[in-house]
Amino acid sequence: MTSKKWCIMFFASVILVVIMYAMFNVLVDPFGVFGDKIFDWYSYNMTNNPRVAKTAYLDKHYNEYDSYIIGCSSTSSFPTEDLNKYFDAKFYNLIMYGADMLDVEKTSEYIIDNYNVKNLILNVYITNGYKYDEEEDNLTRNLHAKVGGENPISFYGRYAFLDMQYSLAKIKSKREDTYLTKPSDVFDVSSGAYDKKVRDVEPIGNLEKYLEAYPVFKNYPQESIELTAIDKTTESINKIKQKCDENGINLIVVASPVYEKYLEYFPKDDVKEFYTKLAQVTPFWDFTTSIVSREPRYFYDETHFRNAVGTMMIGKIAGSDDVYIPEDFGTYVTLENVSEHVETLWTIENEEEYTKQVPIIMCHNIVENPTEDSEISPERFEEQIKRLSDEGYIAVLMQDLVDYVEKGKELPEKPICITFDDGYLSNYEIAYPILKKYNMKATIFVIGSTVGCQTNYKNTEHPITPHFTIEQAKEMVESGIISIQSHTYDMHQWAPYEDAEQPRENILKFENETEIEYMDALKKDISKIKEVVEQSGDELIAVAYPSGKSETLTNVVLNANDIKATLTIEKENNTIIKGLPQSLYCLNRFNMYEALTADEMIKLIEGD
Amino acid sequence: MSLVSIEFIGFVIISLLLYYMIPKKYQWIMLLVSSISFYLIGGTTAILYLIFTTLTTYFAGRLLGKCNKEDKKYADIIKKKKRLIVLVTALLNFGILFFLKYWNPVADMINNTLQVEKISRLELILPLGLSFYIFQSIGYIIDVYRNKYDPERNVFKYTLFTSFFPQMVQGPISRFDSLGNELFSEHKFSWDNLKDGIQLLMLGYFKKLVIADRAAVVVNAAIGNYTEQSGSVLLVAMILYCIQLYCDFSGGIDVTRAVAKMFGITLVDNFKRPIFSTSLTDFWRRWHISLGSWMKDYLFFPMSMSKPFVKFGKFVRKHIPGKAGKILPVSMVTFIVYFVIGIWHGGSLKYIAFGFWNGILITTALLLEPFFIKVKQKLNITDKNKLFYIFQIVRTSIIVLIGRYITRAPRLLAVFDMARITFTNFNLSNVFDGTMMNFGITVTDYIVIIVGTMIMLIMEAIDEYGVGTKKILEKKKVIIQWILLMISILTITVFGICRGNYIASEFIYKQF
Repeated sequence: MTSKKWCIMFFASVILVVIMYAMFNVLVDPFGVFGDKIFDWYSYNMTNNPRVAKTAYLDKHYNEYDSYIIGCSSTSSFPTEDLNKYFDAKFYNLIMYGADMLDVEKTSEYIIDNYNVKNLILNVYITNGYKYDEEEDNLTRNLHAKVGGENPISFYGRYAFLDMQYSLAKIKSKREDTYLTKPSDVFDVSSGAYDKKVRDVEPIGNLEKYLEAYPVFKNYPQESIELTAIDKTTESINKIKQKCDENGINLIVVASPVYEKYLEYFPKDDVKEFYTKLAQVTPFWDFTTSIVSREPRYFYDETHFRNAVGTMMIGKIAGSDDVYIPEDFGTYVTLENVSEHVETLWTIENEEEYTKQVPIIMCHNIVENPTEDSEISPERFEEQIKRLSDEGYIAVLMQDLVDYVEKGKELPEKPICITFDDGYLSNYEIAYPILKKYNMKATIFVIGSTVGCQTNYKNTEHPITPHFTIEQAKEMVESGIISIQSHTYDMHQWAPYEDAEQPRENILKFENETEIEYMDALKKDISKIKEVVEQSGDELIAVAYPSGKSETLTNVVLNANDIKATLTIEKENNTIIKGLPQSLYCLNRFNMYEALTADEMIKLIEGD
Repeated sequence: MSLVSIEFIGFVIISLLLYYMIPKKYQWIMLLVSSISFYLIGGTTAILYLIFTTLTTYFAGRLLGKCNKEDKKYADIIKKKKRLIVLVTALLNFGILFFLKYWNPVADMINNTLQVEKISRLELILPLGLSFYIFQSIGYIIDVYRNKYDPERNVFKYTLFTSFFPQMVQGPISRFDSLGNELFSEHKFSWDNLKDGIQLLMLGYFKKLVIADRAAVVVNAAIGNYTEQSGSVLLVAMILYCIQLYCDFSGGIDVTRAVAKMFGITLVDNFKRPIFSTSLTDFWRRWHISLGSWMKDYLFFPMSMSKPFVKFGKFVRKHIPGKAGKILPVSMVTFIVYFVIGIWHGGSLKYIAFGFWNGILITTALLLEPFFIKVKQKLNITDKNKLFYIFQIVRTSIIVLIGRYITRAPRLLAVFDMARITFTNFNLSNVFDGTMMNFGITVTDYIVIIVGTMIMLIMEAIDEYGVGTKKILEKKKVIIQWILLMISILTITVFGICRGNYIASEFIYKQF
């Protein structure tokens, strides 16, 4: 081969490699700008850059939505289900992490010009007052060329000749993808919000433990930030407002809650000026400070509040009365009241109680001459119940806890939950009369498959401690004293009596099981136990984990199936929090056993 | 501008296009413009140092040239005058070199020793290619002094000699009599040159991007924190450092020579497969050749021939009988040369120690040579013995490796620490138990380093003992050549771009 030929071959090969390189990036499409034909994995693309990927996604799916909520990362905490319910609309959450007001303005203009928009909710965060247009990384923080007006050749060229490690990372992440939210794919594609299925079942209770887990709230760092972009930001909002007015779009502007100490970062005058100028442009709902701002458990960090707070905000805006909303939460700020309102931002006067300590006790079988830790004699049981009653405890059911958390419905001053696991006949024959006598309510968590088993373990030859029947359950429920809930239908098997190779002794996923198989099994079990609970005349809202064991995926599935409370066997007290459904997950319980005297029991449940 | 950047490739392509498009007699001017632009892109103030060296040595050269032409009658006076010119020019330029390179390290050293800030650090920029162009132009001055050739009259042409851009980053140190002609003569575009250039360029990028930059991640992480490592990990890191150093340096020289080749200019080679060195002396003949030969021509010989040394030699021979007496003076000079090479590497005690290490070993070897020959005779070992040859290579590698411990240690005293750790806490299992995964690169990267190094060694072995890799490849069928070419381009693109330093996009979600 001559040198000339070789050189031509070389240059041709280089061109070929360049084309292959671009093809690879285009096909894997880690930012979703080329249609993501192979993976169709927009939750990943949006995680890489929500601005670009959401525009690309909406261009294909805008027909499915008629309303939008837009803003920086805290916008994600407005649950779209709540918005859809109250506004009778189909919302898409256009949260773009790190969004500045220019991003919001351009994106709003784009959706108004190109899509059908009925409602537009604009989430203005206090940080929008100091950054208007940030110098941004042009891969992960820039807008789509269609929105930002960038030259398409440079835009698409940049994503085609991307560092291929972005593409490799996407392939790698796909291999490791799970049903649960992973840091590489944090978006829920169809709602546009962050996928919070894991965060929403994160058990929250005791404040000290929370501060331990979220150290940012301890030793809060001191900083000072001046709001230097007020004029530009309000001007930007004004443009959006004008555009909405011209197009007959219902614009709602919301100033979201901040953690109390975060507000101290900003000079008071700056904040006042920001909100005054905002009111001059448009009336807005202000949630910046309230009793919510004082409570770290409502926040992930200083600027990011939980979905539970979003639910309260939407409830307030929509004037709902079936969700808990603190007294001082949310003010509709207009030109008339703004000057008065901004003065009150630094004083939180609401002292309402929004947490409650609720001890839960746990019993199993009641027998004469108990031999095991899970057994207790009728005498001891009655002694304990009597003592609780004498001490002024009022027994409540799971539904009462749910009403407290969801609706803010008050609990008695000294509430207690009495619970039984498994559904033994002794619960009906011995416990039920005693409970009635002292007018103490209790919840019995039955194993669906053994309800009514008098002599044999399910359909086997093996003997079983007798369990009450569905009729007996019904009778108890009707009395209003007893609630029947789930200890699973058949996920608390007694291994020695089971034929299956791998008996389900608890609710955990088998190691050799796929997520899908496990979720199917769990969902089936839930629907079966639901039937049993409904036969007894009750409604399924709570699950006591067999052996107290659970894992994240369990909770995610339970939560998705309307289970509002779950119970473990950790011997600790519980703090439940109004407006925070997670506080009903993984509740702790004190085991009642024969050797525990009434005095000792009181000491136990009154400790922290 | 880094030799491995897209900008550099773009710069070269544009320069090449212009170079071959303009009339040939202006080609050297084009090269000068490219060189000055290249220098200016890197920073504007640094060029003042380059101009200073260029002008002082240019005029010194002109003066020396005049002296050479003067009447032989006044030989003595002229000789003195010429010496003075060389001395002043050398002092001025080496003065700058020493000042810029060693002021801060020396200040640090003194301040640290005294525990007070006696000498303040200065904000000094180290101009690109400083030591290379100073050595190159001093070599020129000495050559003219020796009347080896006439000085260059055209100051711009001379400037091209001192500033030729491909060799600004890593050398080599060229000689005026070979490089000058190549630079100033007219070059017709040649596909052969282009092909050779591309091939060399690919080899250089392969060494630098695929091997060296990966190894560097491990080396920096492991040795930067050497007290935490066990001996085996440290040893592996040091071996990787040797690989890194060789691939980075020789790869850089390959790129330099490749670019020059495309302009039709052949630069001297700086490396001759040092892995196959049979002795430390042999190693220095194969490693950074242009520095070694500069030292030989402009330091070793003049010093050996100088009057004081000749006298000293006579004195020694008189008082120490036998071979030792003959060798000792030579050893002294050798020792001094390696001492200077040590200092050339940087202003730190460890480099002085490095010089000592080489100097001591080489002089000892010289002194003990008769003894070794006797031992070899007794053991019946000839130079053709293959096992002995392998033994020599292994021995040399170990000696070089120990030398690298000295230069790579964070401080001089750390060398002893590192050596102690290597020997007392070896713990071989740490190499395989996942410890190596904590240094920022993945298993794939290690495999790339190992396979890459093996490919390089095989190619070098073929070049060393066989007909040469290039010749073998050129005989293959076109399709095979093309497949190999595609594999090479893909390897350099994929593994060259995806180095261990990629930071995945930040996933904000974790924060809330």
